[in-house]
Parts: sequence; C-alpha cells; structure tokens
Amino acid sequence: MAATETTIDNSAGAPTSRNEKGKSLWSDAWKRLKKNRAAYFSFYFIVFVCLIAILAPWIAPYSYETQNIDRALLPPNSINWLGTDSLGRDMLSRIIYGARMSMAVGIFTAVFSLVVGGIYGAVSGWVGGWVDAVLMRTIDILNAIPSLVLLILVGVIFNSLDLFENPELKALTGIFLALSVGGWVSLARLVRGQVLQVREMLFVEGARALGARPTRIITRHIFPNILGPIIVMLTYQIPSNILFESFLSFIGLGLQPPFSSWGVLANDGWRAKSYPHLIVFPGMALFFTMLAFNLLGDGLRDALDPKLKNR
Amino acid sequence: MTLGKILGWGCVLISLAGIALDLADLDLPRGYGWLLLGWGVAAASYAVVRGHMVAYVTKRLLEAAFVVFMIATLTFVLLRFLPGGPFDAEKALPPEIKANIEAKYGLDKPLGEQYLDYLMGLARGDLGESYKYIGRPVADIIAETLPVSFQLGVYSLLLAFLVGIPIGVLAASRHNSVVDNALMIFAISGVALPSFIVGPLLVMVFSFGIPFSALTGLLPPALWESPVYYIMPVITLGLRPAAIIARLTRSSMLEVIQADFVRTARAKGVAWPVILYKHVLKNSLIPVLTISGPLVAGILSGSFIVEIVFGIPGMGKHLVQSVTNRDYPLILGMTLVFSTMLVIANLIVDLLYTVVDPRIKLG
Amino acid sequence: MGRKLYVFVRSAVLFAVLLVFAVACTRGGKDIEVDLPSGEKAVLKYNETLRIMISSEPPSLDWHRATDTTSNLITVNLMEGLAEYDLSDKDLKLIPALAEKWEASDNARKWKITVRQDVVWSDGVPFTVQHVVDGWKRLLSKETASEYAYFLFGIKNAKAFNEGKKSWDEVGVKISGPNELTVELEKSMSYFPYLLTHHSTYPIRLDVVEKGGDRWTEPGNIVTLGPFTLKVWQHDRLIVLERNEKYYGQKPQIKHIAAYMIQEQATAINLFDSGKLDSVHDLPSVELRRLRQRKEFRETSRLSIYYYGFNVAKPPLDNPLVRKAIAMAIDRQQIVQMLAGGQLPLTGWIPAGMFGYEANRGVTFDPEKARELLKQAGYGPGTKLPKLEIRFNTNEDHQRIAENIQAQLKQNLGIEVELKNEEWKVYLNSLKSKTQQIFRLGWQADYPDPDNFMSVMLSYSENNHTNWKNAKYDELVNKAAGTLDRDERLRLYSEAQKILVEDDVPVVPLYSTVKHVLINPRVENYPLNVMEVFSYKGVRLKD
Repeated sequence: MAATETTIDNSAGAPTSRNEKGKSLWSDAWKRLKKNRAAYFSFYFIVFVCLIAILAPWIAPYSYETQNIDRALLPPNSINWLGTDSLGRDMLSRIIYGARMSMAVGIFTAVFSLVVGGIYGAVSGWVGGWVDAVLMRTIDILNAIPSLVLLILVGVIFNSLDLFENPELKALTGIFLALSVGGWVSLARLVRGQVLQVREMLFVEGARALGARPTRIITRHIFPNILGPIIVMLTYQIPSNILFESFLSFIGLGLQPPFSSWGVLANDGWRAKSYPHLIVFPGMALFFTMLAFNLLGDGLRDALDPKLKNR
Repeated sequence: MTLGKILGWGCVLISLAGIALDLADLDLPRGYGWLLLGWGVAAASYAVVRGHMVAYVTKRLLEAAFVVFMIATLTFVLLRFLPGGPFDAEKALPPEIKANIEAKYGLDKPLGEQYLDYLMGLARGDLGESYKYIGRPVADIIAETLPVSFQLGVYSLLLAFLVGIPIGVLAASRHNSVVDNALMIFAISGVALPSFIVGPLLVMVFSFGIPFSALTGLLPPALWESPVYYIMPVITLGLRPAAIIARLTRSSMLEVIQADFVRTARAKGVAWPVILYKHVLKNSLIPVLTISGPLVAGILSGSFIVEIVFGIPGMGKHLVQSVTNRDYPLILGMTLVFSTMLVIANLIVDLLYTVVDPRIKLG
Repeated sequence: MGRKLYVFVRSAVLFAVLLVFAVACTRGGKDIEVDLPSGEKAVLKYNETLRIMISSEPPSLDWHRATDTTSNLITVNLMEGLAEYDLSDKDLKLIPALAEKWEASDNARKWKITVRQDVVWSDGVPFTVQHVVDGWKRLLSKETASEYAYFLFGIKNAKAFNEGKKSWDEVGVKISGPNELTVELEKSMSYFPYLLTHHSTYPIRLDVVEKGGDRWTEPGNIVTLGPFTLKVWQHDRLIVLERNEKYYGQKPQIKHIAAYMIQEQATAINLFDSGKLDSVHDLPSVELRRLRQRKEFRETSRLSIYYYGFNVAKPPLDNPLVRKAIAMAIDRQQIVQMLAGGQLPLTGWIPAGMFGYEANRGVTFDPEKARELLKQAGYGPGTKLPKLEIRFNTNEDHQRIAENIQAQLKQNLGIEVELKNEEWKVYLNSLKSKTQQIFRLGWQADYPDPDNFMSVMLSYSENNHTNWKNAKYDELVNKAAGTLDRDERLRLYSEAQKILVEDDVPVVPLYSTVKHVLINPRVENYPLNVMEVFSYKGVRLKD
C-alpha cells in the first residue's frame, strides 16, 4: 500500500552534519516562504490573530459577557463598532474573545494530537512487527467510527466528569478531548510513515550501529527530519479543528454562551436572518483565519519541500 | 467486447440512467437500487477475480468485518458510560412503570447478557427497535432515511469531482495566470467556509433574492421534494470537497508536469493538450483518489448540518439526536451503517488504484 | 483517457441541462403532489390544505404509548376522547365528546360514563363502550409498558394491575349497561373527567392493533374515529391527514392537513416566508423582536411554569429563611424583560389562566427585606453565605436566566453563585442523584386542573427534586383532589400554596411561559389555547 503515502519524499539526501545543514535548511525555507507573498502575509495575519487572542482582556473594549438588554441587537454604531447581540453584548469584544477560544481549541488540540499521535506513530513505526500491526489495527477501527458519533460520545462523557475547577478550562476539556480523539489518528499515521522511511536511511543506521539509544535516535535524528511534514500537517489541522469546534457548537456540544468562540457566534448568527451583522462579522473572522492557515500551509509545504521550489 | 467491459460500462450506464431518471423527477423502477447494487458487486467481483486479487479482497473483507464488530463493541461500551438513560424525561416516571419499560426492552438484564443479546440480534440481521420512535425497527428507520442521505452524498461527491477536477486542470494548465489565481482563491475560500454559513447564504440569495430581487423564489429554501430542491444542499455539501479536489488536482498536475516523461513527450513534439489531458491528468488522479476515502467520511458527517439547515429527511440528524435521546439501538445501528459504508468506501478506493494505475499491485 | 474525459464532460453537461429543466418544471403551482402508500399520486389542493410544521418525526402514533407533544398534535386530529375541551371557550370548559354524559357519586369516587351510540370508526365499525375498556386495559397492562399508564392509576387497583400483582377483573372499571361504564377510583378525584381528554385514555380497536402488529399505526392499517384520517406517513418527512367523511361531529372545512417535519425553526420560517407553510410554532428567541412586528405573529400563554428549586437537604439551603431570602431577592420582572417573549412573571405555583391562580400568592421582590431575612438566618456582613451553585441544562435561554439571577443575587444579597450546565440527560440524571443545590425545571399541564401542578411537590412525587417533605401540604393537596366543591378546593389549594411558596419555599416560581407562532392570514380560527391542543377541525381557509 505504498500508494497512500505518496506526497512527501525525503530521500533528497541525508544531512551529515545536522546542525549546520539543519540551520540552512530552515533559513532556506524561510527565504522561500518570504517569496510567497500570500503565505508570508498569512503568517503575519495569524501572528496578529494570536496576539489578539492572548491580549483579549486588554484590547477588547467591553467584557464578553456583560449584558445590556436596552442595547440589544443594535447594528454597528459608534459605541459598539460591530453592533450588539441579542443580550446587548458587544460583538467586537465577543469576536476578540472568540479568537481566544477558537485559537486555543485549534492550536492546543493540534499540539495534543501531535504529542499523542507522534508518540504512537513513532513507537509503531520504530518497533514494527506485531506491535505495529496491533497499533495500526486499532487506528483502523478508530478511523472507521463515524467521527461525529465519537465526538459526541466523548464530548458528553467528558463534559459530565468534573475535571477542572476553572470554568474556562471546564468548558474546553470536553471539546479538546473530543477533537483530539479524531485528530491524533492522522498524525500517528504520518509520523509512522515518516519514521519508517527515515529509519532505513544511512545516518540512522549508522547511529544505531554506534549503539545510540532509540529515544535518542528518534529525538535527535529522526524528529528533525520529519519536522517539515508535521508542521505542514499541523497548519492544516488547526483550521479544521476550528471548523469542527463550530460544528460541535451547532450540535450543542461545543462551547456554550456566555463563552464565545467564532463557532458559537456564527451559530447564533445564522438563525438571525434579520440581523446580518450577527453572522457577517464572526463569519468573516472565521473565514479569513481559515484562509490564512490554508495559505500558510500551502506556502510552508512548498517552502519545506525543496523539490518543488522552482514552481 | 469482453465480459469485463460489459460489466463495467453496464455499471456506469445503470448509474447514469438512475441519476438521469432521478433528476428528471421520474420514479425509479422498483428494485433499481438492488439492480445497481447487484450489478456493481458482479462487476467488482469480476474485476477482483481477473485482477488476481481474490485473496487480497477476502482478507480485506474479513478485516472489515472485524473492524465493524469491534466498533459495535466499543460503541456499546461507550454508550453505557453516558450518564442518563433513554427513559429519563422532564416528567419523571413512577418506578413501577419504569420497571415495566426496562423489562420490555431487556434493560434490566446484566450488561453482559444485553451485549450477547445484541450480538445475537446482529447475527440474525436484527438491529432492534428504537426506544424513542416507539416500536419502529431501527432497520426501517435506516431504510427510510439512508436513501435520502445517499442521494445527497452521491450528488455532492459528483459535484465535487465534476467541478473540482476541471477547475484543477484549468488552473494547472494556466499556471500562475490570472485564471489560476482566481480559481485558487475560489477553491481556498471553499475550504475555509463552514457549511452553516454557505447554506443560509445561498438561501438568502437564491430564495429571497437578497441582494438581487430577480432571484427571489428561484429556488425553494428547504425540503427535499424534487430535483430543484437538491441544488442548494448539494452545493453546500459539495463545495468543500470540490475545493479540496481542485487544489489537489492542480498541485499534483503541476508535480507531474515536471516529470521526465512529460519532457520527453514534449521533446517528441506531442501536442500539449494531448500531454496534459492524456498523460498528466491520468497520473495526477492518484492523490485525488487517495483523498476520496476521507472525503466520503467528511461528506457523511457533514450531511448532518446540511440536513438540518435545509430540512432534509436524511439520516444525519438521527446520528446526532439518537445520542441526545440515549436511543441505544438507534445509535448502534447508525454507527454500524456509517462505519460499514466508510470501510467499503476505503476498500473501493484501494481497488480503484489498480484501475487508474496498473503498476500498483495490491496484496 | 480522452474518452473518459469525454464522459466526464458529457455527464457534466447532462447534469446542468437536467437541473435547468427541473428548475423550469417545478416553478409555480401551489398544490402539493404526494406519493400515496399505494404508489399512486395524489394532489392536495392549495385552497383546502392546511400546511403546518412539526418539529420532528412523531415518535409514535400509538396513542397509548406516545408521550410527546409532536405525536399528540397528530393523534388529537385523528382521534377523540370521551371528553374534550371547548376550544371556543376562554377557560377551556370540558364538554362531552365520545361520552354523552358523566356523573359522579360517592363523593367523586364513583363515576358513571354514558357513551354515544352514533359514532363509527373510519372502517365503518360502530364504536362501543368495549373499545374504551379495551383501551384502558391496554394502557395499564404491563406488556404495553406505557409511560403514561400512571394517568389512570387513580382507578381502583389499576396500579397493582400495572405491576402485575392483580388481575384485570379486580380493576375498578366495569361495563354496567349497553353503553355505560362505571369507574371506581382509589380515592375521590374531582378532576377525573379531565383525564378523559388525554390521548392515553382514548379508546382502541384491539383487532386493528393485532392485525397490524408493529405497523398498525401506518396508513392503511390504522383505524380512527376523529375528524381526520391518516392518509400518508412518509417517515421523517411528511404526514398527510384527510378529512374523515364518517366523522360523527361537524365535519372540518379543510380537506387535508400536510405536516412537514422540520427541526430547525429558522428553516421553517424560511419556508413560511416563501409561502410553503401556513404556520410556524416556537419561534427562535433571537428573532422574536423582529417577528413580533409582523402581522402574522400570534402569541398565547401556556399552562406551563418555569421555576428554580432548592435542595433542602444541602446546607445552607436547609434553612427556610435563606431560601426565602433568595426568593425575595429575585426580580422576576427583570428576567421577563430580558427574555422579551411576553412571559408572565409568577410568584405562586399555579399559573395564570388556571383555576386556583392567585396573583398575590408568594414572595415578591424586596431586596431590603431579603437582606433582613438573611441576617436573621445568621448570615450577616461578618459571616458570609458559602458559595452556592445553580445547575441547569445546556440551553441559551436557561443560561441567560441563570446569569441574570447570578447577577441579581450578587447585587441584592451579596451572595456568590456559580453556574453549572449539563447536557439534558446528564442533567436529569444528576437531579435524580440529588447532588444539586439550586436547579431549574419547568412543569407543563397535562390537564388544566391545579392538582396537576400541586401534586408535583407531594413528598412522595418523583418530580419533587427538592427533598422537601411537608405532611400538612400532602394532606391539603390530597384533600383538595377529593373535594367537589369549588370554593372549598380553592381554599385548600390556597393554604397549600402558602406553605409551598411563602412559608417553606422549596421552590421559586419565576414565570409562566408563552407560545409564539406565525400564522398565514389565509387561516382562520387557528387553535391557540393554553393547553396547546392543536385540533384543526375548526380551521377555515380563506380563498
């Protein structure tokens, strides 16, 4: 089944002196990325959104939960630049705080999937044999459960356990776990495939022959070599996580008001036909961020894959 | 004409005829679905036998059966971890009545026995009765809603391929031109837009004519009565896969264009369109095929939102609501159907590899 | 490959052409074409078809087993009970339907019911009193496992029969004449006739049920006697009812009812706006302000209350003074204003529009006095009340109310409150485990009698999630149930309500709810009433 893993070919040459070569590899990639204006701009846009997310409490003009019934459902005006929602909450503030939750869901879920999937895939690919077979069968099973059912079941079960005191964390755990359950599988596959490829390469065989411990080989030699494809994959996973969170909100299992994420806002918004500002602004935030991540992902893929650099 | 060709083209013809009849709002003859299914299985079996893949396919089918069985078990166990039972309601039931109900559905038995009962039922092909839709066999619910979801899914996939691949080809053939950029912006927007924004947006424009009043009432805003009702839901569901396919086709075509054989062909003076459509496209379809499995999965789970937004009588909503209702037999039935479809879709994709690229050998 | 591409292009063109063709074909024409179970097609004429939405597939049209409002909406048009509400009467007076008359004796412990003799089922079989007894037996028997079996638990030995401890012969239901039924109750029940309106007490044709098996409620199998018959049931999609020409009463003016199953109200409103639906029930709260201004907008109060409960086993809520202080610190007017749905603030337990409602019953908003009470309870500025928790099921409106109460309690009493939401079934489960401190719930009338509300809080009621028990309250409510004299009942309920919402305060009623609908102006006499009986037999359509 070699056909399923066609996309990335790393046989371009094994780095001999890793540090030097590695550095130039990354700076080369960065140079290439800079040339791709869309990706470069997207990169800064994402940094900008991340800053907004982190600094939300300081830059949001109002609180995301303070209600003001007398000022409900106002279109954009001089006080509430993006208008207010049905409870008179400031939309701009809710979108800014929404960035916080959406980005948190997107990034942390991706990181969590990476850790779990990475370890799983690395073990599977490195150890091989029956362990690999069992681990891969398990993944087959997880892959064939409709993700929706898994998401709902895991979401409900974990939401019903009180794992955290902090209400924000409490609101997020179910979603993190539900999304991670789906997310880590593809990363595990990717990492396994990469490990399988890299472990046959000369420099790794050399290190093994010299008696290096497997953990050292994996972290020092294999990991840097498969970092590229993983970063690309993460860039694609983050937006799809953000999308899935909004999807969960649609079912009523995502974040719940008063917490705000772009998914929550967009969900409230599409039902309110008479108040387009409720859907337009969160929709735009969602759209442009997704766009930026996808463009950056494309750019990174091209930049990190030297074979394609002349395109 | 060989038997294989007859079977293969027959399959394509029957499907196309079915689609044409359906889109002309004519009733399909009774048993049409079975005819298509039977013919498809015959064609596939023939291909498998001729391609010496019997052992491989048997192995894959056994694996699939095992996967589905494990999923049944896993879901069964997970369900019992869900707090709250199927008969909890705002108005609490007197204990004696609850006891009667639980006895009727066998919920008073030990869990192990319930599990065995369930497996025995499965072996007989009996998925049990829904708790929520009192007395309705789960198999009936599936039989009545699956065709609609299938229709929605098939048209969306068709749209995705019929729009996505040409767009990808066009963009690749005019690489770095204005056309290319415009098409790719369109495609990447399709990937970035969630369906519950696309759907209502389409409704706003094509049903209520905002902002072009000439469009008012052009398309009905919801329901699933005749082909005109299909248009917006299919676009909503198919947009994202179409965009993904367009991007994938483009990038893999660009990759193939750089391949040596293309250079050779050009050097030999073969016309560029011939190279492009005959050689490049064919070789570019493998990644597109690879992603088709996950795309089917995406369309299956994405259909839920589209069904809700457009009030379509499909299966997606049962998948979600059965969990909120704790309707155990229905959840299990839905999960099994979905995972079976997924497993089969993946198998078909793998088999199609050999059709697209005879160099690939399975087994 | 060229050929394959050709196929692609050709089918794409075919696809496009067919779509255009289809668009051209289906535009215009307001009549509805439906497939009949027989395979034929029928046309429902626009000017004699009422097109409504129901929010989901009806879980069951078996009226003895269904428990939900969607199924009820359909069955109430298919069937009729021994009694019915007079929908033209504001107080929903009870009038005989299948029964000719009923009379009580032995202080409302014995009831004699005489049934009509001019009624026939839709298959022509005459209706008899035996069908009523069959229905009740079916409802109560263990094998049916009906959730609503408790509706007739007031009948002597009915509960024991349901548990399988007694035989049907011992149950207090006897045919005492050719068209006469005698019912003996466990205890006096003044409101017994109200139960006869409920779908769980409808008569049934056992031969039909037996013949149809699991599918007896499908069109073609089902036999009913109400104003309409079931013509089409396309599961998850559409139900079509047709006028029953054999109906014994005044025949409906409309010929068909088409009920589309639409889950999402925003979608239903879209269909309404494009002229495909004549009514939409339960409008989305965010759109309410705008919809309120439309000429199609109607609203009606419901016999349904929204309340907060205290778990009186959890300190500091074991102290009635604390509970009363909290109840007094909540301004209901503010909540109702926030919801902007026309809800009525409520301080008593019995909602407005129902016999026994007292406008001035219960504690009213008085932050000054609330603080005083809290001080009396021993929680002054020095000793702060420990942090409390409000629990509710995940839902935007519940969230808004909880947030509002949180803010009010902080402002008026200085109490810190935490909010916790749970998915609906998880929530119901945790209510049963009694770990909650403060919780929200609602109650909707099964029959428009105060007993239906008051018995919720009986010490042994499954619906009392407060751990609150009061022998005096139990005694008063049980006594009132057995009293025929209206003034005496009123007095008893008033006294019981005082204990519930003024003295002990295990619950804080907040408001009674409202139903919002959009109705096409061509529809006249649309049934809007506090009991939400959507019986469409009186509906008329203007041309």
